[in-house]
Amino acid sequence: MPEFFTSIGGLIAGSFLQDGALWALRNIPGFPPIIQTVHILGIAVVMGSVVILDLRILGLAVPSQKISEMTTRLMPWLWWALASNFVSGSFFLFARPNRYFNNPVFGWKLSFLIPAILLTLFFYLMSRRQHDYWELNSKRLWAARGIALLSLGLWIMVAMAGRWIAYMEYIYFPA
Amino acid sequence: MMELLRAPFWIDIENWPISWEIGGTAWFPFLESIHVIAASFVVGSILMVDLRLIGLAATNYAITTLSKELIPWSWGAFIVATITGVGMFITRAASHVVNPAFQWKMFLLLLAGVNMAYFHFRVYSQIQQWDTTVATPTQLKVIGSLSLLTWSGVMLAGRWIGHII
Repeated sequence: MPEFFTSIGGLIAGSFLQDGALWALRNIPGFPPIIQTVHILGIAVVMGSVVILDLRILGLAVPSQKISEMTTRLMPWLWWALASNFVSGSFFLFARPNRYFNNPVFGWKLSFLIPAILLTLFFYLMSRRQHDYWELNSKRLWAARGIALLSLGLWIMVAMAGRWIAYMEYIYFPA
Repeated sequence: MMELLRAPFWIDIENWPISWEIGGTAWFPFLESIHVIAASFVVGSILMVDLRLIGLAATNYAITTLSKELIPWSWGAFIVATITGVGMFITRAASHVVNPAFQWKMFLLLLAGVNMAYFHFRVYSQIQQWDTTVATPTQLKVIGSLSLLTWSGVMLAGRWIGHII
């Protein structure tokens, strides 16, 4: 792991962020599984928004829905789900910062998540600039299909890596 | 009932060679991550139909169109979640059947199923009158809300299993 990355863990450790997160996780009854469920429900919204949109663009799902209309309708749901997941995720991140910033799988998760968000944002912004941008001609449609395939893979890997953080910490988490 | 849950049968399942194979290798986290992805896809796709039934989203689409196009995906993901779920269950069957979180999860799954069956067999045949209506009748709103609640409960109970085992 690059040093700037692991040092973020050191910055959070012992700070008020860690104290606050630990307090919530330890003192609110049932808080860890509840906040984890909120996190998974956020992933469910990711599936029900961008992943379904990707499947639509690839011609696999919801044929009666139009790509441009779906993009306008579903993207706000994705942004809210991501915002919610940043909040629910930070409880665990702040509570045990070294567990995450020393764990390569957390690094992988971010290296899937950041391109996934940027790619989705790019798709959304082009669609906002011109409503039928991605459906205008066959060249655009093929570009959209390429983006959809990449996006689908990235979002699946974000969820996959998220789950593997807990397993890899037994190997990489120092004490 | 308690006797049945404490039967040696469940220990026998844990001792199947395949249970040992899954429990002792990377198969377990692999199945678990597929389970999370499939389960969130089940909820994500059902959520779209539920919100339409409540009248909160996708109101420009007919209820029948949404159901026809989305529910097969929910079922496909549900089958994947079930296979991966069974794969994890057999590694610790005896502990799972007496785990309150697991019992709640099964109960809530049953409730979600009953709610879905009620919608499909009792309501769906008369859906034509509200198919394209934005302001859906109370009955549909209740079914959609119950679906959201039970599926969220399934997720919560499912996640809680790991905190008890």
